[in-house]
This record gives sequence, C-alpha cells and structure tokens, in this order.
Amino acid sequence: MKLLSNYLKEMKIAARGFYFYIEIAMAIVLLAILLLAVSETSTSNRKQFIYNDMPQKIAEYLKDRSIEKGEARLADSTEFKLKPAEFEITNQETGKTTTYDFDDEKIVELETIEMLDSSTGELDETVYYVETEADMIRLAYSESEMGVTVVMNPYGKVSNKYYLQGYETDRLKSLLYILQNESRDVVNAKKDKQVVRTIEVTETLNNRENLVPIFIAYMGSLMGFFIVMAYIFYDKAEGVIRAFAVTPSSIWKYLISKIFVILTTVVVSSSIITIPVMGGQPNYLLFYIFLIITTFAIASLGLLVASFFDSISKAFGVMYAIMISLMIPAFSYYIPSFDPLWLRFFPSYPLLQGFKEIMLNGDAGYVLTYSLVFLVGGLGLFILADIRFKKTLTV
Amino acid sequence: MINKLFVIFRKDFLTARRDAMATYIMVIPLVLAVGITLFAPGLNDTTVKLAMLKSDDIEHIEYMKQFSKVELFDNMDELERRVKKRDDIAAIAPNGNSYEIILQGNESEIVEEYAVLLNTYYELGSTKEETTAQLISFGRTVPPLKTMLVNILILMTIMLAGMLIAISIVEEKAENTINAINVTPISQTAFVVGKSLFGSTVAMLGIIGAVLITGFYDINWLMIVLVGLTSMILSLVVGFLQGLSSEDIMEAAGSVKLLFLPIAGSIAVYELVADKWQWTMYWSPFYWAYKANTMILSKTADWGTVLLYTAMVIGLSLIVYLVSLPKIRKGLS
Repeated sequence: MKLLSNYLKEMKIAARGFYFYIEIAMAIVLLAILLLAVSETSTSNRKQFIYNDMPQKIAEYLKDRSIEKGEARLADSTEFKLKPAEFEITNQETGKTTTYDFDDEKIVELETIEMLDSSTGELDETVYYVETEADMIRLAYSESEMGVTVVMNPYGKVSNKYYLQGYETDRLKSLLYILQNESRDVVNAKKDKQVVRTIEVTETLNNRENLVPIFIAYMGSLMGFFIVMAYIFYDKAEGVIRAFAVTPSSIWKYLISKIFVILTTVVVSSSIITIPVMGGQPNYLLFYIFLIITTFAIASLGLLVASFFDSISKAFGVMYAIMISLMIPAFSYYIPSFDPLWLRFFPSYPLLQGFKEIMLNGDAGYVLTYSLVFLVGGLGLFILADIRFKKTLTV
Repeated sequence: MINKLFVIFRKDFLTARRDAMATYIMVIPLVLAVGITLFAPGLNDTTVKLAMLKSDDIEHIEYMKQFSKVELFDNMDELERRVKKRDDIAAIAPNGNSYEIILQGNESEIVEEYAVLLNTYYELGSTKEETTAQLISFGRTVPPLKTMLVNILILMTIMLAGMLIAISIVEEKAENTINAINVTPISQTAFVVGKSLFGSTVAMLGIIGAVLITGFYDINWLMIVLVGLTSMILSLVVGFLQGLSSEDIMEAAGSVKLLFLPIAGSIAVYELVADKWQWTMYWSPFYWAYKANTMILSKTADWGTVLLYTAMVIGLSLIVYLVSLPKIRKGLS
C-alpha cells in the first residue's frame, strides 16, 4: 500500500514536470523518423569508377547486355568536380611507383549505371563510366572509392587493373585476383549448380524493423540508467533522500517507486515506437516482460552508481563511460560477422539480441533465459543499492 | 571585457577541477580513442566466415583460407551447431562428389553470395597464380571505418561539452549563483562567452589528444581545430538553452537526448543514405562538420571546401544562437 502511494506520488510529480512529456515527444519523433525517413529495404552506398580500355562498341554492348539481363539499370548521369590533386600510386606486383600531379579543376558528367542484386533486385553498387583513365584514377583517389580499368586484348580476353585505396584486407585482394580468371557466363553457369541447404526456416527483419530493437534498447532500457541517476541527484539536492532517515518508510520503497516511474515512461515510449512499426508480429507478452525486467536491472545499476556520488557532475565520468561501453555491442548487431566472444559479456548484447528475437517472434527460450539473468542481476544490484543508501543516510 | 572573460574561465576551471568535470571532458575522449585503436582492426577485418570439416580436403581448406576466416569442426553435428549460432557464418561441407553450402537461413545476402562464389571458383580451379588482374594502391593505410569512429568521437566530445554546460547551468541555478552574476560587473555576454570558452578549450584538448592517440598525425591540424571550434558553437548554444530552460536536472537530462538527435541523424544520413537524399540533413551544422572532418581525416580536404563547410556550420549555428538569444537573456535574468 505504502509502495503504491509512493509510486502514485512520484507519478504525480513526474506528470507536473516536463521530463515525462519530453520522453513521449522523443518517442513520437523517433516513430516519425522510422516511418517517414527509413525505407524497408536497405540501400547500398558502394561506388566504383570504371574506365573501359576497349572499342566503344564492345563497351556499349556489354553494358546493354547487363541491362537487358536485369543485372543493371541505367540511372541519370552524375556530375563530379575534379579538384587539383597530387598523389602516388604503386603497382602491387611490380612495385613501380607513379606520381600524378593535377593542377586543373574541372567538372565531368559521367554515365551512371546501377548494378542490381541478382536475388533481390535491389541496388548493389553504383558504377560510373569515366572517359579517360587519368580522370578515373583521380576520381578513385578523391572519392576514396575503387577504380577499375577494364582492358580487352585483341582476342577478346578481359583483364582488370584495380585501383585500391591501400587499406583493403588481403582476403579481398585475393578475391580480386581470381574474379576475372573465368568468363562471367562460365562462372554464372557453375554458380547456378551450387547446392545451398538451409537448416532452419527463420524470419528476418527488414531495414526499418531492424532499427526498432536499437531504439528500444538505447532510448528505453539503457536510458533508464541515466534517468534514474538524474532522479536521485535531484532528490539529493532537494534533501528528499535525507528526509527518509526520519520517516517510517523504508528506503527500498522510495528507490523502487523511482524505478516504477521510469518503467512507466519506458513502457509508454517503447510502445509508441514498437506497435505502429511492428504491428502484430512480435510476441508482446514476452516484449513487456523483457522490457520491464531489463529496465529494472539497468535502472538498479544506475541506483548503485548514484549511491557513490553527491551530484550528477561528479558521477558524470562513470555514467558516461558505462553508457558508451553499453553502446559497443551495437556494432555486432549491425555487422553480424563481427561477433567476438568478449562482446557477449556486455549486458547490452543480450539486450539487443533479446529484443531482436522478440520482434522476429523467434527464440523465446533465449529471451526467457536472459530475462531470468537480468532479474537475478537486477535484484542483486537493487539490494546493494539499498544497502549503500542506508549506509550513507545520516540525519 | 577580456579580463572578465578570463575571470569566468578561471572560476569555471577551479569549480570543474573540484568536480573533476574538466578531467572527464578531456579523459573520456582519450579513453575512447584507446578503445578505437584496439577495436578498429578487428571491426575492419569482418570478412565472411566459413565453417568447414577437419576431415575435408586440406587443399580445399587452404584455398578457402585465402578469402575468408575459416573455422574447423570434427563432425557435421558440430558444424551445423556452429551455423545455428547467433552470428553470420556459412558452412561448406562435402556432399557426395561435390560440396554443399549450409546456411541457418537468416544470414545477410552477402554471406550466401560470397560462399557460393568462393565454392564456384574452387570448383572451376581458379587460382591467384593464373590471374591477369593487377592491383594498384594509393597507399592509404587508415580504413574508412576507423575514420568514421574517430569522427563520431569528435562529435561526441563536442556533444559532451554541451551536456556539461547544461548540467553546470542547472546546478548554478540550484545554487542561485546565476542570479548573483546580475549584481556583479560581469555582463551576461561575458558570462556566456566565458563559460563557453572553458567548455570548448577543454573539449578541444580532448579532441586533439584523441586524434593523436588514434594515429592521425599528419592531418591538417589547423583545419581540424577550425571545424572543431565552429561546430562546438551550436552544441554550447543548445547546452545553454537546455540548462537555462530546464527547471531541474531531470528536465536537463531529458532534453540532452534532443541534442543527440541531430548528431546521430547527421552521421546516419552521411554514412548510410544515398547521395540523392543527403540534402535532408543540410540544415544540421553537425552534418557539415562531420563531412569536413571526414575529408580532413582522410587527407582529401582542401581549404576552399573546408572554409565553405565551416561557413555553413557558423551560419546555421548563428541562426540558432540569434533565435535563442532572447531566451538565453531571459534565463540569465
């Protein structure tokens, strides 16, 4: 009963301030960004500058054939400004170095072709055809993109000269070496014969849906860490916490009522983002269980950290360092091939993966296991925070 | 006037030293820079991973190792268990006289495409030795991912300065020291500039240290300082606005998120969105700062472009400053 009255009192105070409304407004802004600015399909930004060292007619024929086969589509021509530049290039095989020094400035308009993904038909790479090799090298240098000279010998055999930036991995370089060893038709015929077996029937999130776990985890659960600390420091400055030393109410009820206010805010703001984007796809029961438990656990961590400092400015370093470190697993979320073992020890790793599973209506076992882990961890942190606050309270 | 500015600067420096705030603004970017230095090589080398059987033909395994990271397993059960794990990995395993590619089913398109392509070239007997291709290098050693992380770090440090201004103003309000300024010979402008001077000096030192730690020694330092200082104007103005308009630390904490939006949006649009949609972020000074920093860090910047982008940053920041000036004045009164 006391807990409920504490919570209602805190909610009334929160409703009087602007913070609660800022959170709601932020959720609406993020929802608008997701629905209006983020497309469902991802777009590729990869570019390549090509100079065709072959008769014009053959070059045109090869381009037209790609377009007819649906491998590419013609786009509007693109303007590039070439600025004065001085640089060196080194041939990796011969070690020969050539220096280029361009003093002039000019604008070139390049024929542009969009290469399409064979299975999805989406943009894979934008290719610009350059009229001279010197301009192609200059563009590859200034735009920091790959340049290619496609050379055709009198027997019709094609070989490529790749202009690389220098930081490419050895594995990519090895692949470039073998790419032109066989004709495209031979490669495609062999590719079609490859047997691909899929072990599980799994759903994937589209480009827009893929952002929802990030927004929920970072703007919701993890923000609870920052906000609960701000709440505590505000009350410390006002002397509210100290007043608990002379009241019959226990400190844990005060602390949990703060967490409940954050839980209310996070549940409302996360629902604003999730429901319109994901519709009926997620398992909402699991979603709210996981959201509430993880927010509780991370807010408890915030309480524990707050118990060691007097003001937010003193706690800022620790707070900022924890928040930044919790952001690191986002790299693995976006680049699934990058998944080192050490990254899995960050609490935000299962947090992101858990929300992803919920959005996919996937592995409920994973979500429930980590819900239990966060619950136990959160309770432990909460008990420690309670002990710390009791110790530091003096009349 | 200059004297009074330095009085504020010195006061803030002493207060901040007590609260270790200055240390945070300077040390946090340095710690993050060390993190980037350790972290970036692994992140850059995220080639597709392949799972194979130890019993597979050694020549096949060695072939694949030239193009991907290969993990070896004792039997098919282990191989399939590995494929089912959370990260993206494809398996290539013997299947009769040929090979099959095994996927979990939720991998990105590129993983399947790459595995199929590699096995195709293996079956065609394609080797590096018979290549007709030539590789020519511009000799750049810093990968774009590292440049991006350092650039994000610069903007985060700038945001940090704004956040700290907001928090310090709210704390000054709570202690009533803001009102006290009005009865001293220090003008409101001197107070604003003095406080900003402190925040920007400390943040700039943090940025320079971070750029040095991450190995960007031979960039144009004048350019990076110019872009850093100008892009800090907006962060500081917003910091002041948030600090002065927030009644308490709760509101300041909530509105700090608002500063995060244009910064994150600018980076996301520049890095992820197609050229034809770049104009959607032209209103954000952070977009121009990020663009300028990318060019400076990748050593492709020229003074004409940097000055143009700096002018955009200053122009847009001044518009925000002039619009919010009455609010700042009111807040200080």
